Amino acid sequence: MKGATVTTPGVAISIADLAHAWGPTPALDDITTTIDPGSFVAIVGASGCGKSTLLRLLAGMAVPSTGSIGIDGATPDEVRRQRRIGWVAQRPALLPWESLRDNVLLATRLHGDASAGPDPDALIEMVGLDGFADALPAHLSGGMQQRAALARTLALDAPLWLMDEPFAALDELTREALAADLVDIWRRRRPTVVWVTHHLGEAVALADRIIVLSPRPGRIVADLAVDLARPRDVTTPASQAIVRQARAALADATTAGVRS
Amino acid sequence: MSRAPTTNQATAAPEAPAASAAIGTVTTGTTAEPSSGVGDGRSWPAGPAVVGGAHDTGSTPKSGQAAKATEWSRRGTPWSALAGVALLGVLVLAWEVAVVVSGVPEWIVPAPTAVGRAMVDNAATLAPAAMVTLGEAAAGLLIGSAIGLAAAVAITFVPRLERAILSVALLAKSTPIIAVAPILTIWFGFGHAPKVLVTALLTFFPMLVNALEGFRSVDPSITDWFHSVDAPPRAVFRHARWPTSWPYLFAALKVSAPLAMVAAVVAEWMGASSGLGRSMWLAYTNLRMPDLFAAVFVLTALSALVFQAVVVLERRAMAWRAPTPTT
Repeated sequence: MKGATVTTPGVAISIADLAHAWGPTPALDDITTTIDPGSFVAIVGASGCGKSTLLRLLAGMAVPSTGSIGIDGATPDEVRRQRRIGWVAQRPALLPWESLRDNVLLATRLHGDASAGPDPDALIEMVGLDGFADALPAHLSGGMQQRAALARTLALDAPLWLMDEPFAALDELTREALAADLVDIWRRRRPTVVWVTHHLGEAVALADRIIVLSPRPGRIVADLAVDLARPRDVTTPASQAIVRQARAALADATTAGVRS
Repeated sequence: MSRAPTTNQATAAPEAPAASAAIGTVTTGTTAEPSSGVGDGRSWPAGPAVVGGAHDTGSTPKSGQAAKATEWSRRGTPWSALAGVALLGVLVLAWEVAVVVSGVPEWIVPAPTAVGRAMVDNAATLAPAAMVTLGEAAAGLLIGSAIGLAAAVAITFVPRLERAILSVALLAKSTPIIAVAPILTIWFGFGHAPKVLVTALLTFFPMLVNALEGFRSVDPSITDWFHSVDAPPRAVFRHARWPTSWPYLFAALKVSAPLAMVAAVVAEWMGASSGLGRSMWLAYTNLRMPDLFAAVFVLTALSALVFQAVVVLERRAMAWRAPTPTT
């Protein structure tokens, strides 16, 4: 990764008494927490526990059934309308018919003059895709496409990154390389990152805080700080201790859910 | 309930389990690239053929040879094209032999050689007739497709219009062309107008249905991203829905372009002063079977050419589609 300019600092998030249901199906319940500006928080839990729902609520893509979310005092919808959210999902969601450069600049092009926006080639270089600015997404590997999606997020200069298992479809080595580069960029720019994953090792490697959700409806069953130096080795006893804690919290919640 | 992060007692763990731990359906190391996505028929290009390595920044562009092999596997090798021509030749030869051996009169089944002679002899009249029919079909296809496309766009932006527009469209589509064509001829005379109208009537529906499906088949992850940046609906349409719909639009054209030729000819049968339909009708009423077959063959060849033109156009318009992986 090449150098990056320090830009908008991260936002503070406050979630109070949040619950959400999709129709008759409860997805989240009793979520109350705060997230510090510039922190990297991982949300972990089993499939269907409401991780992605929480992310969509934070992105203003849905309105919570009850409770509230404040992002620097504004609602998620207001923050979304200000284009202060960088959204990265499992699929890179690049436009297949547009070059990498055009994809990176898409948000700027949608809302005005692209020439006034960031230099797309510099962003592409920053994510390690030098020389691919004119390539079409179909000609890139999955890992490279996710890098391009990251460059597109960087172009937004958003203070809040919401990332829904962006590396889940990648192989282990690519995932590790991307994660290292992501942390590098995050440490330079310091946006607030909320990272959804079902991979505990990945959460320990990346985040400085792990929120564990119970099976549906998702409730916070553990909130673990990860006070480990970076770059991290997830095979160390210290890392594995956190993995075990998260796993134990999840197992307890699952058992309790089955009993009830 | 408010929670603060608890300090981790990391060093308390005497034994470390496996290096990475995951919950539920975890992927551990193997590649799980999304494939053609959106479903493929509708979708995004097939997933990339290469997955990054340890420091996944390089790509592995396909070699020219591999790309050519892929292209052939998609379109068929030159040998398969030759086989098609050979099969056609065998069928024509069998037809010629059958006519000669059976002695069936020419006014019932003409031999291919007689049809060929008729094509040469009538070239001076068949060529302009073909041009007239082609023009009527093109105009009708253009108008019908434009109406179908406009209706699909209207429904996409104002979904409440869907039921009303589709009801009317279905009524129009269900009206038998064979009944409508004479009425239009009575109303608009023997000129080109009724033929163009009949063609438009027959071709708007495939475009409407396909365009609507195409506009709706955008990858949800892309619409999510557009939503996250507060993109207005017209921007989503321009940058995502419209290009996504191209495969659907070309699918509609592949159906409706040859159909347009048939529609124009059917309308010409109902009364026309020119066109292939008129040539066929004259040959039919005079029992000049070779002439009739010659006109039919010209129509068939033109329809096939029109179809191929759409295929070529599609290939050029959608060059962004990834070639199908060979492995």
